Amino acid sequence: METLNYLLQGFAVALTFENLMFAALGALLGTLVGALPGLGPANGVAILIPLAFSLGLSAQASLILLTAVYAGAMYGGRISSILLNIPGDEPAMMTCLDGHPMALKGKAAESLAISAMASFIGSFIATIGLVILAPWLARFALKFGPAEYFALFTLAFATLGGITGKNQFKTIIAACIGLMIATVGVDLSTGNQRYTYDILELYEGIDFIIAIVGLFAISELLFFIEKHQGNGLKKVTLNKLKLSLKDIVNILPTSLRGSILGFFAGVLPGAGASLGSFISYTLEKKVARDKSQFGKGDPRGIAAPEAGNNASANGALVPMLTLGVPGSGTTAVLLAMLVSLNIQPGPMLFTQNADLVWGVIAALFIGNLILLLMNIPMVGVFVKLLSVPPKYLMPIVTLIASVGIFAISGSALDLFFMIGFGIMGYVLRKLDIPLVPIILGMLLGPEMEKSLRHALTLSDGNWSVLWSSSLSVSIWALALLGLVLPYLIGPILRRRMANSSADTTQVHTKAQTHAKTQSANINTESEITES
Amino acid sequence: MKDDCLLGIVLLLVSFVYGWEAVHFPEPFGGAEVVGPETFPILLALILGLSSVYLIVKPDPNGEWPVLSMLGQLLMVIVVLAIFAAILEPIGFIPATIFLVSVLCWRMGTRPKSALITGVSCAISVFLLFNFVLDLHLPAGILEFS
Repeated sequence: METLNYLLQGFAVALTFENLMFAALGALLGTLVGALPGLGPANGVAILIPLAFSLGLSAQASLILLTAVYAGAMYGGRISSILLNIPGDEPAMMTCLDGHPMALKGKAAESLAISAMASFIGSFIATIGLVILAPWLARFALKFGPAEYFALFTLAFATLGGITGKNQFKTIIAACIGLMIATVGVDLSTGNQRYTYDILELYEGIDFIIAIVGLFAISELLFFIEKHQGNGLKKVTLNKLKLSLKDIVNILPTSLRGSILGFFAGVLPGAGASLGSFISYTLEKKVARDKSQFGKGDPRGIAAPEAGNNASANGALVPMLTLGVPGSGTTAVLLAMLVSLNIQPGPMLFTQNADLVWGVIAALFIGNLILLLMNIPMVGVFVKLLSVPPKYLMPIVTLIASVGIFAISGSALDLFFMIGFGIMGYVLRKLDIPLVPIILGMLLGPEMEKSLRHALTLSDGNWSVLWSSSLSVSIWALALLGLVLPYLIGPILRRRMANSSADTTQVHTKAQTHAKTQSANINTESEITES
Repeated sequence: MKDDCLLGIVLLLVSFVYGWEAVHFPEPFGGAEVVGPETFPILLALILGLSSVYLIVKPDPNGEWPVLSMLGQLLMVIVVLAIFAAILEPIGFIPATIFLVSVLCWRMGTRPKSALITGVSCAISVFLLFNFVLDLHLPAGILEFS
């Protein structure tokens, strides 16, 4: 009952005219960002953060704007999957399998409409899941002491590589780099300067917004130029939509199953949206009586991964909001937003900033509805925008990112930092070092050090305090599992994936061109449920 | 030599320098504590050091690097970005943006004329949007009339 009350208050916040506008704007921008191959959701949110800041938006408005972008990107990813067989972002890869064949049959509009509906159901159910699960988890997390938090942060890093991550050491290295960057500046509890080399600008540490924009947006620009992707995609035309009620009813059970599976995949650390859409698709193929149409344009094969991917995107907000530990790249960027707004994420968020959290949750419901409305009648607009070639788009995106960075502090020095991070991002991506752990390290570094300090001060320097409660032992065990599991079952999964990709080679090669290193779980379309 | 070996060696050096500095942090004002400013950095240096040794011992196969001429192009993009950062304040937003957007469009394969048009229209519209609609003042530079 209490939850319902809070939710109603949240709706009161989200339904103000200003916030509705931000939700609609975010949904629009997000769909665009998701639809354009190469400009993934993490990038999109990262570019918009400095803008939201420099506009001086309130915490609520900026968070509503960015969660709407996040939700919209998950909708947008499917458009280019279906029309061009190129996933807009990596969770949309599974949608290619049946979405594109259906479009080839001249049913592109139906395919887009079905996937929009499945996306809506996925997000809707997952948001309900979030409403139920998040307050409960937040209450549970109040039991956590500093030792448990330290273990939890380690867990976040350990599972970030994902279950199919290739080289766990590279994830660890990336996390260390991020944590090291976080230690630059004046140490808050002792006042000591660390790694500042008497440079005044470094006293406050390095702003992670600059790092995010540099690592993601600038390195993306360099990749675009290197791959000569400036000319963009071929033009596509849409047929007239003919969808009967029966078609919608037919995909309902599929969407429901996909949503529930996807939600849990999103909540679990290390799984993420790619895995969510993959498991949903595989399950659907297993339970379907008539499998002959899968891979040839079965509507269920579109609904399942789309419901799964949207549901897990919303599910991933659960650990981010309740524990302050994001499970994916984009939620890490959203967390950066919270931290820079001076909002301390974690279990206290639900008590201290109740109106903010519930406002955002309500905005998710509303944004989702806006997205559905936007995506069925207005899909033609997005299709047109898809044909704007990146050679015009990327320079403008770069400009907007730079202006945003400049506007936060009004100092051109930050732009040089941004360029530096861009070069670093490019080199690291070439070396297969994932970027998300770096961001996460910069974000969680101060908190992680603080919890280590608290734990050790309470125990008078006895390190065993870190694994003295049963709760912390189980978190450590999970973290260890997260590190070791990819070595045990990763190779099997990757082999299966190689086999299954034989039928969908075309999807793969194209997908890999657009693969982004920040998502180690890109390779999730393997036969996981069979193992 | 494999790329990862090189990376491992660089990171090993980084972790060594980082750890060395941490060990030599001055004692904080008010005496040493159980966990000083150096504890966490030392921990990080150890973990990074060990992981980089792993990279040196077991490197992954090399990725694909761009050819030299492409590296030159990428370097040029970086220089363009740096020039933008350098001239933004002294010369002003509009000329700097025209420069940035036009050159980038051109480098990405647009014809010079349309690149310039994109640059100019983008500069003017973003400037107007920020200064008058969003009320955020971008440096006007040499175009300032007052």
